[in-house]
Amino acid sequence: MEDKLTIAGIQLSSRLFLGTGRYPNPYVQNQAIEASEAEVLTFAIRRVNLSDSSEDAILQHIEGKSFRYLPNTSGATTAKEAIRIARLAKASGLSNWIKIEISDNEKTLMPDPIETLKATEVLAQEGFIVLPYTSDDPGLCYRLQEAGAAAVMPGGSPIGTGLGILNPYNIERITEQLNVPVIVDAGLGSASDVTKAMELGAEGVLLNTAIAKARNPVKMAEAVKHAINAGRLSYLAGRIPKKKYATASSPIL
Amino acid sequence: MNLLINGETYHLDVTTLKEVVTYFGLQEGLVVTEIDGKIIDRSKWLNTKVEDGMTIELVHFVGGG
Repeated sequence: MEDKLTIAGIQLSSRLFLGTGRYPNPYVQNQAIEASEAEVLTFAIRRVNLSDSSEDAILQHIEGKSFRYLPNTSGATTAKEAIRIARLAKASGLSNWIKIEISDNEKTLMPDPIETLKATEVLAQEGFIVLPYTSDDPGLCYRLQEAGAAAVMPGGSPIGTGLGILNPYNIERITEQLNVPVIVDAGLGSASDVTKAMELGAEGVLLNTAIAKARNPVKMAEAVKHAINAGRLSYLAGRIPKKKYATASSPIL
Repeated sequence: MNLLINGETYHLDVTTLKEVVTYFGLQEGLVVTEIDGKIIDRSKWLNTKVEDGMTIELVHFVGGG
């Protein structure tokens, strides 16, 4: 049987969700997207810069195959603001998927759990495919699932830090407990972090800075693609238990 | 008339929302509009009259994670 990630009944060709911010230029971005083989791309919603409207309309620069768009509600500090951004994103006609991202802490960008839960409830009721970015609290992640999230996206560590998975215990409890897919979002810094997330039972990962700001974004995109496959296979294969003392792997005479 | 667009006051000689979008030379398929906090679908731009003092938001997708 094919091992594919399915969200809200939609089978995806890749377990990687790729952010579209912070690349050196549109050419490198397109190359990285291609190398990563990601199908789902994330975006933010912002005011058009009316003094130069050509400067940052990201969709002008995305080329090639058809992608699935996952707009985010970054910039929102309350459920109310996130709901407004979600409705604007949907009115684009490009997607009814929404990544809820609500933070009131500029330094850590850590998500506000109460507002995130509120927004998830409202938007799921409205028919959005809701993917909340959340802290790695197993109880909260469960509540987000029950509120109607199509997938739950706990952070490994704060956005853009590259600190990897700070609490693997929590991530594993979350992946064990939830029925909807768990996508580890935020903080992953390199291919090994991605493999670790997948070994902990994540069904996918969302990366942006780790690829966009790598010395060679295109190579890192390719590395991450392989890391996802390696981690997923390792998870499915089932690792050995950790032990304190040696067990000889060669026969003892 | 005076319109507050994306936080700035503009004095424009326009009658419909479509004319506002055209004035700024925006690609229609990529822009989403809001008047006084209410989203106006692209299909209604031509028939939506703008009036002096309205607050208009023009937003689009940008790069983000």
